[in-house]
Amino acid sequence: MQMATPGRPAMAALALLAALAAPAAARSQGTPRDTLTIGISQATGTFHPNIESMAAKSYILGFARRPLTGHGPDWLPLCLACDAFPTLENGGVAHDTTPDGKPGMRVTWRLRDSLRWGDGRPVTADDLRFAWEAGRAFETGFGGAEFYRSAYEFLSDGPRSVTLRFDRATFDAGSADNFEPLPAHIDRPIWEADRRNYRSRTAYDTDTTNPALWNGPYRVTAVQPGAGVTLERNEAWAGPAPAFRRINIRVVENSAALEAQLLAGQVDMVAGELGFSLDQAIALERRARNRFRVEYRPGLTWEHLDLRLDNPVLADRRVRQALMMAIDRPRIIASLFDNRQPVAATAIHPDDPMLDKSLAPWPFDPARAAALLEEAGWRPGPDGIRRNADGARLALDLQTTAGNRSRETVLQVIQGQWRAAGVEARIANQPPRVLFGETLSQRRFGGAVLFAWISSPENVPRSTLHSDEIPTAERNWSGQNYPGYRNPEMDALLEALPRELDAGKRRPMWARLQALTHQDLPALPLWHRADAHVWPQWIDGIRPTGNMSPSSLWVTDWRVR
Amino acid sequence: MLRIVAGRLPQIAVTLALLSLAAYLAIGAMPGDPISLALMADPRLGPADVARMRALHGLDQPLLARWWAWATGVLRGEFGYSRLFARPAAEVLWPALRGSLVLLGTALALAAALGVAAGMLAALRPRWRGAVDAVALLSQALPAFWLGILLIILFAVTLGWLPAGGAPEGEGLAEALRFLVLPVATLAIAHLAAYARHTAASMAEVLQAPWITAARARGNPESRIALRHALPNAAVPLLSLLALDAGSLVSGALITETVFARPGMGKLLTDAVMGNDHNLALLALLLVAATTLLATLAADLAQRALDPRLA
Amino acid sequence: MTRLRLGLALLALLAAGALAAPAVAAWLGVDPELPDLLALQAAPSAAHPLGTDELGRDILVRLLLGARVSLAVGLAAALASTAIGLAAGLLAAWRGGWVDAALMRLADGLLALPSLPLLVLLAAMDPAAIGLPRGGAAADVLRIVLILALFGWVGVARLARAAALSVLARDHVRAARALGVSEARLLRRHVAPALAAPLTVAGSLAVAGAILAESTLSFLGLGIQPPAASWGNMLANAQTLVFSAPLAALWPGLAIALAVAGAMLVADGLREAQR
Repeated sequence: MQMATPGRPAMAALALLAALAAPAAARSQGTPRDTLTIGISQATGTFHPNIESMAAKSYILGFARRPLTGHGPDWLPLCLACDAFPTLENGGVAHDTTPDGKPGMRVTWRLRDSLRWGDGRPVTADDLRFAWEAGRAFETGFGGAEFYRSAYEFLSDGPRSVTLRFDRATFDAGSADNFEPLPAHIDRPIWEADRRNYRSRTAYDTDTTNPALWNGPYRVTAVQPGAGVTLERNEAWAGPAPAFRRINIRVVENSAALEAQLLAGQVDMVAGELGFSLDQAIALERRARNRFRVEYRPGLTWEHLDLRLDNPVLADRRVRQALMMAIDRPRIIASLFDNRQPVAATAIHPDDPMLDKSLAPWPFDPARAAALLEEAGWRPGPDGIRRNADGARLALDLQTTAGNRSRETVLQVIQGQWRAAGVEARIANQPPRVLFGETLSQRRFGGAVLFAWISSPENVPRSTLHSDEIPTAERNWSGQNYPGYRNPEMDALLEALPRELDAGKRRPMWARLQALTHQDLPALPLWHRADAHVWPQWIDGIRPTGNMSPSSLWVTDWRVR
Repeated sequence: MLRIVAGRLPQIAVTLALLSLAAYLAIGAMPGDPISLALMADPRLGPADVARMRALHGLDQPLLARWWAWATGVLRGEFGYSRLFARPAAEVLWPALRGSLVLLGTALALAAALGVAAGMLAALRPRWRGAVDAVALLSQALPAFWLGILLIILFAVTLGWLPAGGAPEGEGLAEALRFLVLPVATLAIAHLAAYARHTAASMAEVLQAPWITAARARGNPESRIALRHALPNAAVPLLSLLALDAGSLVSGALITETVFARPGMGKLLTDAVMGNDHNLALLALLLVAATTLLATLAADLAQRALDPRLA
Repeated sequence: MTRLRLGLALLALLAAGALAAPAVAAWLGVDPELPDLLALQAAPSAAHPLGTDELGRDILVRLLLGARVSLAVGLAAALASTAIGLAAGLLAAWRGGWVDAALMRLADGLLALPSLPLLVLLAAMDPAAIGLPRGGAAADVLRIVLILALFGWVGVARLARAAALSVLARDHVRAARALGVSEARLLRRHVAPALAAPLTVAGSLAVAGAILAESTLSFLGLGIQPPAASWGNMLANAQTLVFSAPLAALWPGLAIALAVAGAMLVADGLREAQR
């Protein structure tokens, strides 16, 4: 009998598998540690620094280019591409008057001498002039339009000096925000040829590996769209040399797959800025403590529940306060997050210089919550859910982003804790694009929505609290005051704060702002989310910032142990 | 034969045009456009900014007008820019298409080979039938992402034999193959069952045919009967299965690509659809639809050629 | 016949478990939806025979409750696909001409589209926009069933059309038609019996497909929303923490595999019985 038995291909496949199955460990130990592979959980789109803001792009660009200014790990503003952070005291910031006689400011940044593009050309005022001109032309489509609207004149008295005149006086004028040098010798001709299509024609996306685009310690040498980026040392970089010859950034969007690649040794570290959820990192640390170090850094991501204030139930402040005190935040943080993130008193971060330390977070107090609900007319009903005099049940929608497991988990705990207080919460989660693109931004939610705001140190929360910022169809749904909070005192504070240049005088204003949100609770604060940075044992010197400046900006401090 | 092709091609063209319209409208009807999402990200955008941004992105035009502009562009050979990746849509498509062709090509070839072999085994050796059935049943019943994760845990994390996913860093075929083993296994297991079942069923049928009995009577060895006489005839119904799978060669395997973090069309299509990336999504959708329709046509023609009863 | 019995027995077992869920919950004294922060990811014990999940809820009871949702999705989606497909296939065979051409081209088009990205697209749409309720497990089930039926009817329609055409082409049926036998009677006496066999097979395969599709949608975050349990969302949740609690991912995966295998055995058995 000469028949080809189907067993043979299977055997062949097994043999092939065995042949290919070289031990992974041998491979990773064989090479010297001049390559670092970092896993991130989000894909990048454009590489242009000013078009669209995405965490993944910000992290990758941190290796490859210097913005003018940023915030360090200590949360203080500092210079990255300039010599000294401009302040009123050092003369970098000066009072000024606009052509129509209003108080304004002029801010001067002096570019660092050694800063060069990857093709060896120095970074000059021309590069910033191009950035300013492109930013001011609306059709270019840069983010942060307000900055460019306000900066009405560009002056320069030399290749290293740049001065902008602003039509208003603000305390944080020295921060250049997204304003940063763009390679004028490459991109200006492209922009001038076709401003409307600059967004898609920029060399950052058509010729990403051109060294002339990059002025940081590394430059981009290969892009795999949606899958990763390869960075190599930038020969023109004059600052301290970074430790790794090459850095591979790998995008792994599925978190279990990311963990598998880390455990299998294909990925050396996972960026905290966009990597594991906190609970996943805690579980990882418990099991693989000897292989990885996990550093938790509470960041400027404020998890909270926005409440719909025009809902008659939630319009009553006592109900909002009761809902707040019915949530046992310390227990949730202890059980789910291993006490790694602080309970939030308000939106202001514990490390923020303007935090009012005397303001304690609302406690978990079921008795007071019950008393407040009774006072508001909600009495226990036969099924455990409270009812008012008309017999209406105390029920509201509770929503978050579907597919975000960590938030879905928290939401279910809150649902359970509210039920214990006699409040029925109906969970109706939605995909992020629906929740953010419509339900929240067009104010179509009816109850409470769990999500997070990301801010920066001493960021005046005008867009979320000012009554002018309530989104409506007439305003094209702009503004972020989704709860619909209206308070004239708050409006006045939000208008006065940015114009007060004396930090000492701002402090009581900030305290009042915090006291108001603490009492009125347009949003229920939960916690300031901690990022979990996962590093191998052999790396040193990475400092998570917890703010908008990613840790990759300080890559020259990273060392192999 | 030519008449059939001439008749079907216009139908395919019309189907594609209608599909593109339906897909364009469906993507446009999803809540949350790019501008509303940008509003969340940038608190400083005012009402006027929003209006100008909508105009800049052409979002102030009615959907039908936007589809028409897109369709006329495609007829001129302009596929436009991908919104998500900030590159020409066609340029984004190629790496993903290559990834899917390699992954699914290997997996489907393996699945077809093993499936046909297993099906023949079941048809020719009744005592193996139970085992083949059980394997086929199991392989179809496991959720793909579950199987993928189990394989990763076993072969990549615990044993450390194979990479857990991603793309090869080094050059060379061996390196590329190492990265292919687990995702190919995941996919091949899922696809194998259909081939095994179909082969077993049609082989069993063909082996009853009078001309097989005649061939046996002429003293042909059993192996020759199985391979030369029965298999070609039993393969006819497998052609339509292959045609449907040709579509998935191009449409990729979203779950496997996600779990193994490999670039591919499944992931690209889903990201493009979810990210309001009309140009990219439609280009990919049309490519997939055209491939499937043409493959079905080819399978029809091949079946007619192989089976005189259908001609 | 043994396969049909085995398949039916498997499905009956799962269905019995689903029906017994409240009783089991009461007997164990656990609330399957209320998180218990003091018993996260507990190991199996007398109180929790299969342990607890990442929110301290009993896995066994949730598995049984998940059976309700997952089996409901499977059966309802299969019924809907079969009903739509039957109607479309019959219509195409009966009317012929442009109705046939239009329906079959629509079917070709749907088959040519990659189903998963479109399932994702449909799942992301706002159910309220087409008059469906938002939120709640029942609404989710309805949404998923509709989405699956939208693609699932195509295969059934082709089967039904082919079977009906072959019946209508038979001499005695043509004679009966020529003699003026009412269409309804023709349908009942001749067409329906010929369709029953292939449709029951297609229907049971559709049950299997729908159960798998629900788990895939859950994996993508678009399935049944919490706190309701389905096998799909239990598996998707457990998958994130699969390295620290592998067993939590094992049970729902096994449940899905059993249900799918059960439905496919039924399909096999039915097909065998027809031979």
